[in-house]
Amino acid sequence: MTGSRDGRRRMGGRRMEGSAGALERWAAILGGTALGYAGARRGSWALAALGGGLFLAGAAGVPLSSPLRQAALPALRREPATTQANVTVAVPADRLFRHWRNVRHLAALFPHLDAVEVLSDTESRWKAHGPGGVPVVWTSRLDKLRENELITWHTLEGADLPHRGTVLFRPAPGGRGTEVSLTLAYHPPGGEGGHAVSRLFGMAPEQQAREALRRLKRIMEVGELPTIDGQPSGRAERSRALPSMQEVTG
Amino acid sequence: MRALCWNGVNDLRVERVPDPTILGPRDAIVKVGLSSVCGSDLHLIGGYVPTMRAGDIIGHEFLGEVVEKGPEVTRLNRGDRVITVSIIGCGKCWHCRHEEFSLCDNSNPQPAFEEMAYGHCTAGIFGYSHAFGGYAGSHAEYIRVPFADTNCFRVPEGVTDEQAVFVSDAVPTGYMAADMGGIKPGDVVAVWGCGGVGQMAMRSASLMGAERVIGIDRFPDRLRAAQMKAGAETLDYSRVDIYDALLAMTGGRGPDVCIDAVGMEADSGASALEDWYDRGKQALRLESDRPAVLRQMIQCCRKGGTLSIVGVYGGFIDKFPMGAAMNKALTFRMGQQHGQRYVKRLFEHIGKGELDPSYLLTHKWALDDAPQGYRMFKEKADDCMRVVFAP
Ligand SMILES: NC(=O)c1ccc[n+]([C@@H]2O[C@H](COP(=O)([O-])OP(=O)(O)OC[C@H]3O[C@@H](n4cnc5c(N)ncnc54)[C@H](O)[C@@H]3O)[C@@H](O)[C@H]2O)c1
Ligand SMILES: [Zn+2]
Ligand SMILES: [Zn+2]
Repeated sequence: MTGSRDGRRRMGGRRMEGSAGALERWAAILGGTALGYAGARRGSWALAALGGGLFLAGAAGVPLSSPLRQAALPALRREPATTQANVTVAVPADRLFRHWRNVRHLAALFPHLDAVEVLSDTESRWKAHGPGGVPVVWTSRLDKLRENELITWHTLEGADLPHRGTVLFRPAPGGRGTEVSLTLAYHPPGGEGGHAVSRLFGMAPEQQAREALRRLKRIMEVGELPTIDGQPSGRAERSRALPSMQEVTG
Repeated sequence: MRALCWNGVNDLRVERVPDPTILGPRDAIVKVGLSSVCGSDLHLIGGYVPTMRAGDIIGHEFLGEVVEKGPEVTRLNRGDRVITVSIIGCGKCWHCRHEEFSLCDNSNPQPAFEEMAYGHCTAGIFGYSHAFGGYAGSHAEYIRVPFADTNCFRVPEGVTDEQAVFVSDAVPTGYMAADMGGIKPGDVVAVWGCGGVGQMAMRSASLMGAERVIGIDRFPDRLRAAQMKAGAETLDYSRVDIYDALLAMTGGRGPDVCIDAVGMEADSGASALEDWYDRGKQALRLESDRPAVLRQMIQCCRKGGTLSIVGVYGGFIDKFPMGAAMNKALTFRMGQQHGQRYVKRLFEHIGKGELDPSYLLTHKWALDDAPQGYRMFKEKADDCMRVVFAP
């Protein structure tokens, strides 16, 4: 047992924090639902969406009070510099390994990537773009290659986005295919970690890693990325803009 | 083309929208012949599903004719009369290969909502909000069907359009509800909700060998249909105490299998405590999912019995009697329907005359009248079980 006064105080402090966090989360879930409901009631999609966002954020345990104060939900979370995503793909490891090994295939996996140019057996040049089309460029060198198991790489001096990456393939149990895990560690010059990445791409690193693996899975399993882009809706006919935040809160 | 668009809570309008086109190599375009309302749409129309966007085309239970197909569609041809399962499978992922199509890993193009709220994303559904993929629905002249070989099924000769259309959704959902109950000879099955889904659950339970089937609702026309068409005994929850009645009918044991065919908008009847609680929730405008039926099923179910839940829930429920569920050792089964698993079997039952879902179609209206059709269906007016639109 923690006999010391200090220990107890620390524990108490932590517990307080924990329950405040839980409270906030539940308030977000319930408030989110109510908002979504109220928004939908008033025919205000943005309010409903805000409610939905709160609901989802609450459910995901996203800390809300500061974004709430700024009335901008997804903004400004502190991002870790290292991020990992995992997915199980229902194809054998050798096919995944070969697919990833061909760096040209990777352009389709990362939303902001425009082109990957092969320079040599171990080096490739990557071109991406940030918001407003700002170019983000780096050269990547292969470190380790274990057939059907692992690929690691790092960026060379002068990269706009210095990072190291690892992709691991291991057989999933029970014939489920292959477990793929992607780790990206960012080292931006300012030392801000993932935050700089979010700013560069408007998407948190963990989201990017997850999206990359999701695309890999879909390309390998179904051969296409399911989409609704280009389908009909009643929106195309109307030029009505989405209501602004002001309309929603006012 | 014309299509029924959701524009806000209780705001449906038929509008002119562009025709759908093939977007992926495994897509097909289906010219819609019949397209039905479903209880699930009421959750959207009532604003209980938070990711709808104004202009979304709704509808997900339909029959039609293949008029165009992508280069990788091999099992279908132009001119085929088909039904399409409401919930979209890719046919290739682990879940689809194990016939758990509504858990498909790949068919939802907008997985972020669900990943955040539910921890994982599930299958895309036609006309059922952006959390479930944002696919345009079937209350329209044409609809695009992704992964058509997996999701479209040719209707056999001798099965009418009016029978087949419900094999999209109401029939497989009811059938799966009974299937998940694991019905054994001698079992008494109670079904909460006598809408299209409940009716099909009752008939399926009989087909699977249930000794007695009991349907619960409050609308006389639906209770009558449960007796006459689905072969069930019925209870009107607005007139009798459901717990007392079910125990009296089962020698005090309670039903072996309890099926929820009502979902998140359950009418809260019963106890004073529950009433007080629900009033409180309502005052705070915190009603998302109302679990009145779930609570009642847990109370009534035989010890060691099974709860099979196909009524839809979206978010959170309060005051869930976990103690009763745990100590009574109840089994819970639930899910969105894996229709593709059942279609062939269902057409066989229909072909043999063992199942005839056509009585669910109480009204056939023009698509232009869809907003009024939904009002009627929502209010359960004019003995409406399901109104089906013919564009
Ligand atoms: N799991 C799936 O894949 C799937 C597919 C289709 C529909 N659904 C869901 O199934 C449910 C039923 O669909 P439907 O088309 O039959 O809807 P419906 O609206 O026609 O029928 C629902 C019935 O439930 C009754 N009801 C309400 N409260 C009740 C209570 N406390 N006790 C007993 N009955 C009560 C209503 O009176 C009504 O007759 C909905 O929740 C719908 O979303 C699920
Ligand atoms: Zn439905
Ligand atoms: Zn799938």
